[in-house]
Amino acid sequence: MTFNVATDEHGGVVIAIAGELDIESAIVLQDGVAAVLAGRPKRLTVDLAGLRFADSSGIALWVRWAGMVGELHLRNASPLLRRVITTMGLSDRLGLM
Amino acid sequence: MLAITLLIVAALTVLSQLAYSRNEQRLLRVRTRAAASLLTAAIPARQAALASAAQLADATHGNVAKFRRLIAPELSGASVISISLWRQSDPAAGPLAVVGTAPKLEPAMGASALFARAGVGKLAVGGLLAAPSPRIGYAYAIPGVAGGYVAYAETPLPADRRSKYQSSSAFADLNYEIYLGASTRPANLLVGDVPAPLHGRTATVRVPFGDSALTLVMSPRGSLAGTLPQALPWIIGIGGALLAIGAATVSFGLVQRRRGAEQLADRLEVAAAENRTLYAEQRGIAQTLQHALLPAVLPTLPGLESSARYEAGERGMEIGGDWYDLIALEDERLLLVVGDVSGRGLRAATTMASLRFAIQAYAAQGDPPEVILTKLSKLVSVAEDGQLATVLCVLVDRRAKALTVTTAGHLPPLLLDAGGTAHYVECPSGLPIGVDKEARYVSRTVPTPSAGTLLAFTDGLVERRGESLDEGLERLRLAAAAHHDGLADLLSTLVVDLHHGPSEDDTAIVGLRWTN
Repeated sequence: MTFNVATDEHGGVVIAIAGELDIESAIVLQDGVAAVLAGRPKRLTVDLAGLRFADSSGIALWVRWAGMVGELHLRNASPLLRRVITTMGLSDRLGLM
Repeated sequence: MLAITLLIVAALTVLSQLAYSRNEQRLLRVRTRAAASLLTAAIPARQAALASAAQLADATHGNVAKFRRLIAPELSGASVISISLWRQSDPAAGPLAVVGTAPKLEPAMGASALFARAGVGKLAVGGLLAAPSPRIGYAYAIPGVAGGYVAYAETPLPADRRSKYQSSSAFADLNYEIYLGASTRPANLLVGDVPAPLHGRTATVRVPFGDSALTLVMSPRGSLAGTLPQALPWIIGIGGALLAIGAATVSFGLVQRRRGAEQLADRLEVAAAENRTLYAEQRGIAQTLQHALLPAVLPTLPGLESSARYEAGERGMEIGGDWYDLIALEDERLLLVVGDVSGRGLRAATTMASLRFAIQAYAAQGDPPEVILTKLSKLVSVAEDGQLATVLCVLVDRRAKALTVTTAGHLPPLLLDAGGTAHYVECPSGLPIGVDKEARYVSRTVPTPSAGTLLAFTDGLVERRGESLDEGLERLRLAAAAHHDGLADLLSTLVVDLHHGPSEDDTAIVGLRWTN
């Protein structure tokens, strides 16, 4: 798992996650973005274009983020992930685009 | 040149011996930690069981029948022989209910001191209860409940503190001792397999046990990496020295050096093989633990057959968070539960155990599934501990011939009728447990076909990388509809056919089958 933090043109934060996200890498990711989230950004976009795999630890992480920022958007989620998030009833909360 | 060769051989021998010694110590530490994780993992389940019993007693004002019904399955193993229910404020009155043998705890003396420490969110651990058949006791009360109840259990210890050595155990090549508390004083010894104390190479690991601790000391019976590595330093040394003296030439010295290097490489290969064995062993331990946290026997009703399977995925080095349960309720009703806690390892297993036992307690006090799920929402918080859980409840009512489905973000159950048609029982999904403490749930009730099969499962059975979940669900639906054999066969076939691939998740599947 690798990740990249950037800002978009509206001053929101974009976290791009690539590779495989499981319980171990979710902990690494959480530590890695803790400082960014501590700033309570108004808008957080999570870009999953490079994400090959995520288990429920990843979803748990995004739910956590959703409670820490103004609004959260998940973009470029795979069809599997989209359906999993929808089944869990989390598509609104995670701002699934 | 002879001197140089001898020096090289001597150096190789010493290095090899050092490597051997370090490897043995490392293996001992690894094995001791694995054993400690077994100990650690057994504790949350015990605590969760007592906590749900105390909670049930608080909610039902000490309903003895409900307490017995909830706690009776806990006595199925040999590790607990007595579970009792007490009033926290009045231990002198003795236990209100006892399941198993009578507790050895003195109501007047020991109980009041022990119960005063209960109710802090972890087990209050009593001292050793005396000979001739010693026991250790521990108590749990729900924190913050005035005039509440205490659930108290006792685990037997061997009279001479010596356990029989089990050759089938994964730790058959190790001696061990377990002490209560942080000290290894002889008086604190709970159990060991040889006369205490252990000598030679030992490793010590301490694990929390309620408001006390357990100290595990282990020492190897022989070489942990097998006898060849133990002998290798001497083989290199003796063999090398003889050869060096016999043919003290530069060329031979070079050959010898290369051979020494090759033998060291072999040693590394042996260590790598040992690592692979440890991996397999760790996987075995994880699976043993997993099964210990799942129901040992499933309840049955007349005309209703049940079966369940748990399959660890390739990621199964640690315990997973999947679980299933089948709870017999009054009036010929059964509550089927399947759930999945995010993450892996001890934390996921601990959450899983507490959710599982909490559901049992809420169900025993008569809460309907939507209320159970709302109550569970207060036990887990993704914001605080980073975990969430999906849970599916299916209430099967034999008399009303109806199924009530309630889901907290979990996949729907599959219903097969006698004609071979299979469809998912869709239900409006509530949020997973842990997302919102005030989450609300709705149920959907459907009539059951006169004969049919219900399958509830976790995502490992249907999720595959690179495809949509709907494809996986459709694959399961078709495979289940095409199968016409017994229920246990059906589950095995589905697990074998659908659950494979190098990095698949764990899978739990439960089936219920009824006739007319």
